Amino acid sequence: MSRPETPRAQRSLVMISGAAGGLGKAFAVECASRGWDLFLTDLNLESLERLACALRASYAVRVQTYACDLSEAGARAALFEQIRGLRFWALLNIAGIDHEGLFYDQSSAAIRAIIRLNIEGTLEMTHALLACRDPLQPFRIVNVASLAAFSPMPVKATYAASKRFLLDFSIALREEVRELGATVTALCPAGMPTTRENIEAIAAQGWLGQVTTADAGLVANLTLDAALRGEMIVIPGLLNRLVRAASALLPATLAARLVGRRWMGAHQRRGLRPGQAAAQ
Amino acid sequence: MQYPYSEKTFVITGATSGIGLAAAEQLAQGGARLIGVGRSPGRCRECEQRLSTVYPQAAVRYLPADLSGQREIGQLAEQIAASLPALDGLLNNAGTFTYWLSLTPDGVETQWAVNHLAPFLLTNLLLPLLQRAPAARVVTVSSDSHATGRLDWDDPQMRRHYNGLLAYGNTKLANILFTLALNRRLGEGARVRAFAADPGLVKTDIGLKGTPAIANLVWKLRRAGGISAEQAAAGIVALLCDPALQTAPQIYWKHAQPKTPAARALDPLAAERLWDLSARMCAGQLEARNVAA
Repeated sequence: MSRPETPRAQRSLVMISGAAGGLGKAFAVECASRGWDLFLTDLNLESLERLACALRASYAVRVQTYACDLSEAGARAALFEQIRGLRFWALLNIAGIDHEGLFYDQSSAAIRAIIRLNIEGTLEMTHALLACRDPLQPFRIVNVASLAAFSPMPVKATYAASKRFLLDFSIALREEVRELGATVTALCPAGMPTTRENIEAIAAQGWLGQVTTADAGLVANLTLDAALRGEMIVIPGLLNRLVRAASALLPATLAARLVGRRWMGAHQRRGLRPGQAAAQ
Repeated sequence: MQYPYSEKTFVITGATSGIGLAAAEQLAQGGARLIGVGRSPGRCRECEQRLSTVYPQAAVRYLPADLSGQREIGQLAEQIAASLPALDGLLNNAGTFTYWLSLTPDGVETQWAVNHLAPFLLTNLLLPLLQRAPAARVVTVSSDSHATGRLDWDDPQMRRHYNGLLAYGNTKLANILFTLALNRRLGEGARVRAFAADPGLVKTDIGLKGTPAIANLVWKLRRAGGISAEQAAAGIVALLCDPALQTAPQIYWKHAQPKTPAARALDPLAAERLWDLSARMCAGQLEARNVAA
């Protein structure tokens, strides 16, 4: 989708967090292929710069990078200092983590990491970027929730709850920022085959994993279209929309029981018995 | 004893298994000086030791490189240029299949990066070396799957609607279009000639790496009717070495016989467009190494 032509130097940017990861990279490439100038952040500067060089050459866009651990308040403050004076027309909050496993098996550091990145990081980014929004155009926010946001999820209890937080937050914020000319879109995908671990995890879920899986490129493309239309929730895949509808009809206890059975099974097929933590 | 390739130098990518390894063996047997390229340092060491022991008449060296990264390809070309005075043949054989969409560190779809951009970039970086040989060949391993290829210029890597098999076909179509455009650039009567090869259906493991069980099974059934990697390599070695082919006008070959590819693979406009696109996608490494593609 094209946007009105603006002189190069005045063009505002798209901020993408987690830009060097599987889904983030797909979003970065999709944005660049649409001719949008970018500001990319992730943990590792080298991977960011490598991606940025390729995007500049292939798609003739301007790309800035800044390496930052968004789960650290100090690092976030440094990032916000860095972007002072820049103008943005979109924020894609892609950075997020999951440590799969039983809650009582996990270290408190692992649990804290999920809350700090998925919730604190996303909220502070959203707050800071709203202040840097380009006043001349609609401001688009995309938060990555998950299909996991629609029902309590044993084995991914903290993660799913953090995604539920983001989903509810997004829906509420969407109403608040309407009068600023901003929109908030919550992306709720199923697992994506972006890393070897993810591919193994999908395989461990059997046929259901196979058919609920959508490629990251497709997800990035349709999410950006939905964000430009200001849609509230994006669920890639018809079957996943049915899963969502079903989980809305079921009582939470039953939904958690069913989901728990499926995840425990997948967890064990991957050779991860209860009592043995696995980090993704 | 006289060895047919004792004066010749070759570079083979994907040379630690399948067709690439079989071609390396045949060239080593003929006394060639060759550099094999593979992704795994361990397998590279094994192959180098084994071929050097079995074929003392040859000078065999292996360089590990992951061809999904453009920086790694640039470093590989530098290492090759530092160790060879001239190059008689480059065999772009390395290829991969991915069932799910994945992006390389350069943000490129993996099959597009490994199967198409890697041959494009490596060939352009090694062209000065090839031009120093009296008669040189660039052979790129394509496949009859190119017939399913349809390049959508809005999304040539199929990022938005990915299908692993169709994306594979696209890269194999790109191999032939690349060969076409390269020959046009080299001009008629050039000392460097480019060919694309159809190896036929070969018993290799290409369809077994990182694919779901059902796709594994389909590939195992299909390859049961295939030819051996040695048979496939024999035709490719002929394309690399046979002096009689230096002026052959055909660009697509199977078992050393010319073959007519799909009409789309011979479209000169598409070939030029693909060349420009590829040059832009590899601009970082081409500019860093002062090569104009």
